[in-house]
Amino acid sequence: MNVKYVNPFVQAAFEVFKTEANLEARRGALSLHSSACTSDDVTVLISVVGQARGVVLYSMSENTVLRIVSNIMGQPFEEFDSLAQSGVAEIGNVITGRASSLLAEEGIEVRISPPVLILGKGTLVSTLDFQRLVVPMETDMGNIHIHLAVDDTPEGMFPGDLPHVAAAEVNL
Amino acid sequence: MIRAELVNPFLLAAGEVLASEAGVTVSRGPLTLERDVYETDHVTVLVSVIGEVWGMAFYGMSQDTAKGILSRMLGQQVTAFDELAQSGIGELGNVITGKATTKLAEHGYNANISVPTLIIGKGSRISTLDIGRLVIPLQTELGVVRLDLALRDNKAGGAPGSVDLALRVAVPQ
Repeated sequence: MNVKYVNPFVQAAFEVFKTEANLEARRGALSLHSSACTSDDVTVLISVVGQARGVVLYSMSENTVLRIVSNIMGQPFEEFDSLAQSGVAEIGNVITGRASSLLAEEGIEVRISPPVLILGKGTLVSTLDFQRLVVPMETDMGNIHIHLAVDDTPEGMFPGDLPHVAAAEVNL
Repeated sequence: MIRAELVNPFLLAAGEVLASEAGVTVSRGPLTLERDVYETDHVTVLVSVIGEVWGMAFYGMSQDTAKGILSRMLGQQVTAFDELAQSGIGELGNVITGKATTKLAEHGYNANISVPTLIIGKGSRISTLDIGRLVIPLQTELGVVRLDLALRDNKAGGAPGSVDLALRVAVPQ
């Protein structure tokens, strides 16, 4: 995990919550984890490839999702239905997209995957040998935890090519 | 609907990698297209594909199948699904997807792949939202590896996250 990737994501999250949901977010204390992440009710997963690579997770309670999506869509959501699922996935997508623009301004070109939604508490999500930096974002509608497992893509490497691919083919 | 030219590279890659790494023969079960939530088996490797093909590949299997494949790959009995085993299964998904994108490139589709993510726990629920999944059971003597492809032809390009949020949500593609 390289700390230079933290600020673009935090800034993007601040901006998106402000512009989309008129929501002020505060950043809590960062923590670094090597073990698998245990999911909250709702987790949006987006992969990043390019000059940086890794995975970003946005994890929150269903209640927080419903409040934020209600606010963005201007209509009350009481059930976590497919529209609310689309809504929360889009929030993850827009934050990650905005973060990638901010990274590009610093000369780091990345592209992002479509969002995947992991539903339900207690699923284990492992980013394997990528450490996760957890950034709690506190808002009046509840907390969103951003898990950043993003690192530099080694120089001269095809972005999708992992160093241990070759090793795996030899050793395994 | 996913086109055959995007699917076949994954089938070929999975067959080749499972044969060369684990010494198993693979036969393809019946294909189904799914749009609703994916209920996982014990172990699911997720690898994103980003470029002229855009989406995700999932490799799902039971813990016994995972340990069986790993035992063959490592040449020693794997009894616990520990971090080393998780890393090995992540690598398997990575190698298959990497090989598939090499084959996609031969058909004129350039794409990069993400690092693998592992989703652990039977009955976990995953949604790929508005991207349908083609489900391909890969039958081996060590059990079934379920391949889910949620892929789109993205040759026209188009960056995600560029359209107004409320509009994108309200108007399903």
